[in-house]
Amino acid sequence: MSVQSWVLAADVRRLGGMVRALRGLGGGVTVGVVGPRSVVEAAAAAGADRVIWINVADDVPAEAYASALAATVSAAKPRVVLATTTPPDRALLGAAAAAVGAVVVPGVFGISLEGETVVVERTDLGGRVVETLQSGAPVAGLYIGEDTPFPGDVPPTPIERLENSRPADIRIEKTEPVIGARGGLRDAERVVAVGRGLKAKEDLALVEDLAETLGAEIGCSMPIADDFGWVPKERYIGRSGQHISPRLYVAIGISGAPQHLEGVRDAKVVVAINADPEARIFRRADYGIVGDLYEVIPALQAALGQVTVKDHA
Amino acid sequence: MKVVVVYKWARDPEDAAVRSDGSVDWRGARMTPGEDDHVAVTLGLALAAGSAGNAVGVTIGDGDATWGLARGVEQVVAVPDAPSLADNGATADLLAAVIRWVGQVDVAVIGDAEAYAGVPAALAGALGWPAMLGVSTATAVGGRVVATRRMGDREQVVSLALPAVLAVAAASAEKQVPGMKEVLAARKRPISAVPMADLGIQPRDRLQSRSTDVPEVGSAHIFDGSAASATGQLLATLREDGVL
Repeated sequence: MSVQSWVLAADVRRLGGMVRALRGLGGGVTVGVVGPRSVVEAAAAAGADRVIWINVADDVPAEAYASALAATVSAAKPRVVLATTTPPDRALLGAAAAAVGAVVVPGVFGISLEGETVVVERTDLGGRVVETLQSGAPVAGLYIGEDTPFPGDVPPTPIERLENSRPADIRIEKTEPVIGARGGLRDAERVVAVGRGLKAKEDLALVEDLAETLGAEIGCSMPIADDFGWVPKERYIGRSGQHISPRLYVAIGISGAPQHLEGVRDAKVVVAINADPEARIFRRADYGIVGDLYEVIPALQAALGQVTVKDHA
Repeated sequence: MKVVVVYKWARDPEDAAVRSDGSVDWRGARMTPGEDDHVAVTLGLALAAGSAGNAVGVTIGDGDATWGLARGVEQVVAVPDAPSLADNGATADLLAAVIRWVGQVDVAVIGDAEAYAGVPAALAGALGWPAMLGVSTATAVGGRVVATRRMGDREQVVSLALPAVLAVAAASAEKQVPGMKEVLAARKRPISAVPMADLGIQPRDRLQSRSTDVPEVGSAHIFDGSAASATGQLLATLREDGVL
């Protein structure tokens, strides 16, 4: 009896990575999708063995079907179930984990099987440690590992639609763009963000000038918006603030707390400028300069001074 | 509505020391309120008040059980001998057992803790209730809860029938920390301390740690030297990468 694994998804982010991670267990991989047709059709290209689909009406959130999906997942007796950390995906995972009798592990980036034992690799303690854990029980993991592209050369997996799934009584009353989530920051290709390293509100001008030179929008970490109120709250980037995906993200005087990093998880290139060589941001960033922002920013401006930055079309 | 506010149910990851050989030392750290707990309390109390109902605090483990009482929760059920568990599902099962013991609960409000991201959803699963996570506000309206939550760059307003679990995310640090007066008054409010045996649960952690390691040294490529030199190299690299 081959090992069965499932991915539960309300959208396709990290789906490639999760399917790939589960392929390593050597058994069957099923993707359970709760969402509209556009999502399940995308998921059908992920290279899974089966795709199970619960369609949702426009005004019903995926969470409403957590229990219905869990019943189907449980009947398949999976050894591993993965989902991302978005609120709907976690809700789907929580219901399935209870139905399956699984242990629940956050921060998962690797999974393997040793005989009857599932071995899980995860990050913990705000990214300060990587841990290897094991369980003889089924494992439900919140996946934060790499995403990988869908395999390009396989035919789409047939979609099996679950009819007659009864949702819980939850309605979406309305959905609005966040107030102040101006196309500005949200869609910006380049963002310069500032954190506690900034000593005084007047010094924001330094950062603003740099942003202008780079053709970038301004963002900030929570203390700058909240405790100090130097920058409007709409520019706070982080778990309960803006989630952005610029091509270039420059984090200045930002320590790199997990709550902040969650807001830029999908940024393409991250540059960190921080006086503390141990700052957590350097673990996430692609490039860094360890130094005093009051020296580095003027140096950057000088180095940029000769060149006009042109937007890519 | 009968609202349960769950607070202080885990240790603060910042209290653990990671040694250079990758081993972790919790140094006897106790369970402590999470950074979202103050919002869970405020929101839970508001739901109770807004529905002419009542709120009961639920807290587990060692650490200060009076924290919720000092913030306006009038009665608390504590399970002092509850251990810290690696499995978020086992923690959730424990909390679910207490909530069932409280009985007739309509809403359970809990902090949407980043470090224990599986717990709120697993709690809903254990109770057999729907979960709404990442909530920022919630109001009692005609026997239902109307909640707002962030979904990426959009804000969604949802209406839920009860019972349900709400996991709330704090947008900022606690603004009004209780003063001495509230803390002293808190000591007079009742805490029912219930041992795990009375709840009929014997939590076991089916998740075992094999090893811990320091993550590979930060992935950032650091540009050294003078500010002028480092910035020059950085810009050249960014241009090569095509982001500038």
